[in-house]
Amino acid sequence: MANPEKLKLVKDIPHKAITFAIARVPDSARVFLGCSDFKVYEADITAAKFEPKELYAHESYVTGVALAGKTLVSGSYDQKLTWFDTESNKTVRSHEAHAKWIRRVVASREGKTIASIADDMVCRVWNAADGKLIHELRGHGEKTPHGFGSMLYAAAFSADGKHLATGDKVGKIRVWDVATGKALAEMEAPVMYTWDPVQRLHSIGGIRSLAFSPDGKTLAVGGTGKIGNIDHLEAKARIELFDWRASKRLAEYASDKYQGLVNHLEYAPDGSWLLGAGGANEGFIVFLDADAKKTLRGEKVGMHVHDVASSEYAETLIAAGHNKLAVYEMKS
Amino acid sequence: MGIKHFCGSTDHAISRRGFLGTAAAVGTAAFADMTGLEWLSSPALAGELKKQQKRVILLWLAGGASQLETWDPKPGAATGGPFRSIKTAMPGVHISELMPKMADRMKHTLIIRSLNTKNADHGGGAKLMMRGRRDEANVKFPDLGAVVAREMGRADSKVPDYVTFYTQTEGRGMAPGDAGFLGSRFAPMELTTNNMPENIRKIDGMTELDHQQRADLRDLLSQQFAQGRTSPTLGSQNEAYQRVRGLMSSEALFDVTKESDKVRDLYGRGQFGEQCLIARRLIEAGVPFVRVARAWWDSHGQNFETHQEMVPELDYVMAALVDDLKDRSLLEHTLIITLAEFGRTPGINPSLGRDHFASAWSCSLTGCGIKPGVYGKTDATGNKVAEGEVDAAKLFATIYSALGINPHKNYYLGSRPVPLVEPGTDPIIEVLA
Repeated sequence: MANPEKLKLVKDIPHKAITFAIARVPDSARVFLGCSDFKVYEADITAAKFEPKELYAHESYVTGVALAGKTLVSGSYDQKLTWFDTESNKTVRSHEAHAKWIRRVVASREGKTIASIADDMVCRVWNAADGKLIHELRGHGEKTPHGFGSMLYAAAFSADGKHLATGDKVGKIRVWDVATGKALAEMEAPVMYTWDPVQRLHSIGGIRSLAFSPDGKTLAVGGTGKIGNIDHLEAKARIELFDWRASKRLAEYASDKYQGLVNHLEYAPDGSWLLGAGGANEGFIVFLDADAKKTLRGEKVGMHVHDVASSEYAETLIAAGHNKLAVYEMKS
Repeated sequence: MGIKHFCGSTDHAISRRGFLGTAAAVGTAAFADMTGLEWLSSPALAGELKKQQKRVILLWLAGGASQLETWDPKPGAATGGPFRSIKTAMPGVHISELMPKMADRMKHTLIIRSLNTKNADHGGGAKLMMRGRRDEANVKFPDLGAVVAREMGRADSKVPDYVTFYTQTEGRGMAPGDAGFLGSRFAPMELTTNNMPENIRKIDGMTELDHQQRADLRDLLSQQFAQGRTSPTLGSQNEAYQRVRGLMSSEALFDVTKESDKVRDLYGRGQFGEQCLIARRLIEAGVPFVRVARAWWDSHGQNFETHQEMVPELDYVMAALVDDLKDRSLLEHTLIITLAEFGRTPGINPSLGRDHFASAWSCSLTGCGIKPGVYGKTDATGNKVAEGEVDAAKLFATIYSALGINPHKNYYLGSRPVPLVEPGTDPIIEVLA
């Protein structure tokens, strides 16, 4: 079982582009990367020489890659979802799935369902097998309270695939029933959104990551705290925990050590810890206990981390970010 | 060039007398009460104003907007960021997809993509780009607004010559309006906390009649005192009182509720839109120069989120301004400038931000007879100017020329001639009508 106390950096892998999203093929060293050069790559992280193979390209930043069985689904700021068969290495379909930037694509653990979120403030749920639209989940406001366009940044399935959480720029969170498409709960993490009406007249922040605990009861929400100078991302990295069924905040974690956005959240398979990763000019990986009351381990990462892919038992972590990948191990 | 302006010449004096004659025909009562634009309702007067006077609205993108997310996109380049470029009404010219409304209006706009102004510091950059030159040890140069106020303002004007809005606090102290050696007569009316000038209303309890009678008494005493005296200070004193009275009666120009809902919706109900609507009201009423500062674009972190939020606002407000001026036949006499202290780096930092960059950036000039299109070019990544480098002096020489002001004109500090722009600087002739 993975032990954060044993965390060690195994390999730093320079990459010419910014990697916004990473998906790992189970029980292998193969990963798929969504990057700032508009391309989707396949790579072997154990190879002596890192030589990512270009699979196909979007027309803007690729911000989501999700693996459902042998199907890779990528989403991009070009508003398109592309479905790619990783066995035959062929694009199955590519279609305009949203009216604005796609921010993330996630797959349910059993691989049957895909969800995509975008700045049109809609979460679309898709059948992973045939690409058919199952639900359009609407409810996040299109405008911020100050009249600007909002953004829908974060989405996560529960481990059993029954629930889906979404989080937006202004700190609103919704939990949906995947089977019916109905909204089950609403919560707010307003500290994660900073609007500066006096000095700069614009905003920054937002909910950037979500994760359900393995038992499905707790929802972890990641972002950043209130930012004094919104020219930069210089605020405490922030995580909040909710009993989502009761819409009740259980805990707040604001890092004294790490600044910036928490872009990725992930629970240990047994629920014993919570991993948060992200950054500003530099990056971090931090492990909290399940109640987010105590920091178990923190590690500076020499890049802003945008996403993390882990092995089934989380013994290996691959952090992906600004012009680099970093491979960690934490075997007991 | 045939563009007339107040330069003290005989030609202009004749023109000015013509204007005043027309104004007199409209009636002196019109000047006594300027609570609106009614005094412009005379087509003869409005037409005369339009013929004679150029105007400037400077949209000051404080903090430094990114040229890559506005006027000079580089889609697909490593430095290009995520936004696409879109076609515009000018064949072959593409701008950021964040500006679809201005794309449709590019037949009125010139983009200069080749600014190399060499100062990537907020304070120094703002000073340079508001003046077109660096101060000398013993010479504080006037900024663009003050020069335009000096050149285009009317001595008998009842409205301010130079108005600047800068509501946000960030960067305001680094980019104040400054008349430099031209002195306080050409300093701006600065609005920082409110869209309405403060302290220009009559004190409570004083009637209009009482106010007028006090002014008449002061005039009478002044005239008696001035008999046999020729001091310029006296003239200045009297002019100052006239201007104060004018300012007091121009309050309504700052009141956007005087506009229809349709017009207000066109500009949007946000601060920037409303200030640009006021700017239009002001220039229509004869104010030669208005700066609307929209702060704060300094996107060291989350550049794309910031521009996704702010550029669409710039796009629709600027498009509204262009349409509104065009509908009022004012666009051909009004120069809309988008400018900042600098642009932003092509390189994207780990916070997905862009930093300060003055080596290859863009501004735009719209209206006033400027030839639309693109001047200058940056390289494929946007790191260097590839063609048609323009420095601050050349840009200002071009702006002055577009306004009909000779950029090589001298002011005099004592006996020392001080040219408007750096000596030896010529305007970009190709873009001038």
